[in-house]
Amino acid sequence: MTTATVMEGVTDALNAAAVARVSADEPAWLRERRDHAREVYERTPMPTTRLEEWRYTDLRRKLDFAPLKLSAAPTAPDRFEWWPMRLREAMAQDREASGHLVIIDGRVVHADVAAELAGKGVVLMSLHEAVQKHEDLVREYLATRAVPPEEGKFAALNAALWNDGIFLLVPRGVRLDLPVRVTRWYSESGVAYFSRTLIVAETASQVSFVDEVLSDDFAAQTLTSSAVEVFALDGAKVQYVAVQRLGRGGFYQSVQRTLAERDATLDTLNVALGGTTTRVDLNARLLGPGSNSDMLGLYFGDADQHFDFNTSQDHAAPNAGSDLLYKGALDGRSRAAFRGIIRVHKGAQRTDAYQKIRNILLSPEARADSLPNLEIEADDVKCSHGATVGELDAEAKFYLMSRGMSRTQAERLVVLGFLGEVLSRLPLGGVSEKVTRVIQEKLKHHV
Amino acid sequence: MPQNETIQDLGLDEYKYDFVTPSKPVFQTQKGLSEEVVRQISAHKEEPEWMLEFRLKALRIYQSKPMPAWGGDLSGLEAVLDEIYYYVRPQDRMGHSWDEVPQEIKDTFEKLGIPEAERKILAGVGAQYESEMVYHSLRKEWEERGVIFDSIEDGLRNHPELFREHFATIVPPQDNKFAAMNSAVWSGGSFVYIPKGVKLETPLQAYFRVNQERMGQFERTLIIVDEGANAHYIEGCTAPVYSTESFHSGVIEIVLKRNARFRYTTIQNWSNNMYNLVTQRAMVHEGAHMEWLDGNLGSKLTMKYPSCYLVGEGAHGEILSIAYAGTGQHQDTGGKVVHVAPRTTSSIVSKSISKGHGRASYRGLLKVHEGAHQARSNVECDALLINDTSRTDTYPYIEIEEHDANVGHEASVSKIGEEQLFYLTSRGIPEDEAMAMIVRGFIEPIAKELPLEYAVELNRLIELEMEGSVG
Repeated sequence: MTTATVMEGVTDALNAAAVARVSADEPAWLRERRDHAREVYERTPMPTTRLEEWRYTDLRRKLDFAPLKLSAAPTAPDRFEWWPMRLREAMAQDREASGHLVIIDGRVVHADVAAELAGKGVVLMSLHEAVQKHEDLVREYLATRAVPPEEGKFAALNAALWNDGIFLLVPRGVRLDLPVRVTRWYSESGVAYFSRTLIVAETASQVSFVDEVLSDDFAAQTLTSSAVEVFALDGAKVQYVAVQRLGRGGFYQSVQRTLAERDATLDTLNVALGGTTTRVDLNARLLGPGSNSDMLGLYFGDADQHFDFNTSQDHAAPNAGSDLLYKGALDGRSRAAFRGIIRVHKGAQRTDAYQKIRNILLSPEARADSLPNLEIEADDVKCSHGATVGELDAEAKFYLMSRGMSRTQAERLVVLGFLGEVLSRLPLGGVSEKVTRVIQEKLKHHV
Repeated sequence: MPQNETIQDLGLDEYKYDFVTPSKPVFQTQKGLSEEVVRQISAHKEEPEWMLEFRLKALRIYQSKPMPAWGGDLSGLEAVLDEIYYYVRPQDRMGHSWDEVPQEIKDTFEKLGIPEAERKILAGVGAQYESEMVYHSLRKEWEERGVIFDSIEDGLRNHPELFREHFATIVPPQDNKFAAMNSAVWSGGSFVYIPKGVKLETPLQAYFRVNQERMGQFERTLIIVDEGANAHYIEGCTAPVYSTESFHSGVIEIVLKRNARFRYTTIQNWSNNMYNLVTQRAMVHEGAHMEWLDGNLGSKLTMKYPSCYLVGEGAHGEILSIAYAGTGQHQDTGGKVVHVAPRTTSSIVSKSISKGHGRASYRGLLKVHEGAHQARSNVECDALLINDTSRTDTYPYIEIEEHDANVGHEASVSKIGEEQLFYLTSRGIPEDEAMAMIVRGFIEPIAKELPLEYAVELNRLIELEMEGSVG
């Protein structure tokens, strides 16, 4: 603690006193973890563009920590009729679910699980409640192996200050046919929200998890920080889907780690449509032989939106696979950066790892940067990556126009088709339709 | 594993250039780099005042820049840089006919096959030994048509205006730490001018040899290809193997004026104790066509990314890169293309082979600036891994600021396929030969671009490293 940079990001709101307040009623081990995370946060310098991982997002220009406050919202309404209209609409558009969880201004206000599943031991509840009711499990998995504070400045801040989160436990052999749906609503401007998601899918279990984040436009910059930890134990099948539909002024920051054990399948889909700035750090770890991760991403930017995806596929075991496909369309002055790396560690023979990034630029001011990396230390592998940036498919557009569509109509349809490839790879009731609707909504501004 | 044993016998690791010629330099600076050393170099070359000023300024830039934190492992380099000689003058004056070259240096180049190649067909030949060009010649017919092919020192002496107009404009000392170092202590290299419309039918060739232990070579080459001209330049590099590390840091600057065409071929086969950190850049004007053919077979660590700045409408840049990394080697190579003007096109093809504990990394930048409308580019990287201890990396930076650009990048990594091997052996081809065939097939798209029919020793180099037959 010798230089000025050491305390970077510590403000009136984000400091030791705040950590003490959020941890007041918590068990000692958790208080200690938060304190440790705060120390890591304080001594970790703010990432700059000199770091490879932050080359394309300049935090000094994109995020101002000083004015950010912690949520001051009173206990949120737990009655459905009092929830914001858009939140209710979003939930109504969803199809059936195995369970629901609703978060308003960072607090879990509702959680339900189908009775039959609850009977089998499925747990869906706020993380606070889980700390009390499933202390051993939470203690084992929370901010330990997946997203420890040492992962970075944001991971440390989140581990110190998280005020609520989600705990989902799917016991051994239990298979959920319908997704678990989480819907979040943020209403305060100028606030920093910190939440965590912890999913433990035990041996041979199966679950899909859809997390949708919503807000209106914010009058002042608002940070929603989330740390997502997903464990798929031997033979488990997990789908994790995040749909980001924040309003303008939102800075969406999400650190996601997925750990797949032997023969587990752990797929993710990140859909980013809203917010002013989106930063996702996704690390898929293939820890067990025979494990597999499909990693999908989709974004549509306009105006001054900025997207930054930093992904890694870590192959630590033999016979595992990972396949990444991220596609984006960029209109207005929006900008997308993708940095991804496939690491095949020593001994991870017979790895199949792929990475594909496709961007289309819809306006002269849009911009896309891609940096797909490979680091291979085993010889019996199949790895490839590809990245393209280009205009809309002129032939498809021409074909549609020759059928009587206007240029604008044709372009909108081609964009939908382009992005649709991603959605079709992860069919999940309702998500595809919902995302398509939002893109159509955004495309109305494309002329 | 029999397969791996076979590949040991391919002859890939044989190094035929490990011989030392006993020779006494006529002058050398003291060890290490200092202002005094820079002044001595400049004084020995009897340079104009502006060049001394330039060198001293570059030295300050060099000292102020940190070591790169990316690329290869440079942690041992600083110790090496304190121990090497930055300037070693092998003879008093450069020869223009082979008879003028001192016997022991002549012996060296005879062994490397230089005059033989020249006799065959080359348009011109230059040879650098330690810090100075020891020989330079150009065929009379080209000299008569105004072609200049000389040592860089003679370029500065005899063509001061042309020299000063372009020198350090393409790679300024501020560009990177090692460009700054080269700018401070540069010595040797070629000065080339191809006049308007002149089309050289055969290549120019320069040969670089480091003979002495603990030696740093800092050649500097400036090539100006005037409007509509067309030429091909080849360089080859070798050194004996010493237990201490040596250092090579060249700067190559090339200007292609309107509609010019130029190809620059490097076959780098430094010994495995050499740090090889080179900056090569071409400024490509309207309608011009630049090709880099970059072969990296030797050295301990190479960091080299030939680049094309496409600054004129319709300019084209091409980089073909092949790297071989055996045990103890890290080839951190690739290419850079910067599209600045509209309708510019480029392509990068990179192939690498990692064997034993070798590591081959592709590092590239593809940038399309705002205003470079309808830029087109394609990048392809393929890596072949021979052993399970080999390593390969791919780091392609793609930065696009123009919406009607069309760029693609693809990379793949593979090992020699069991199926390919099975197919060939089932046809009665012995396994070792089959392995060699597969390796040859892998590099063929680039190998076929090499001017084999022109440069005998280049041919031998590539055969030694890549196409060596099994005993």
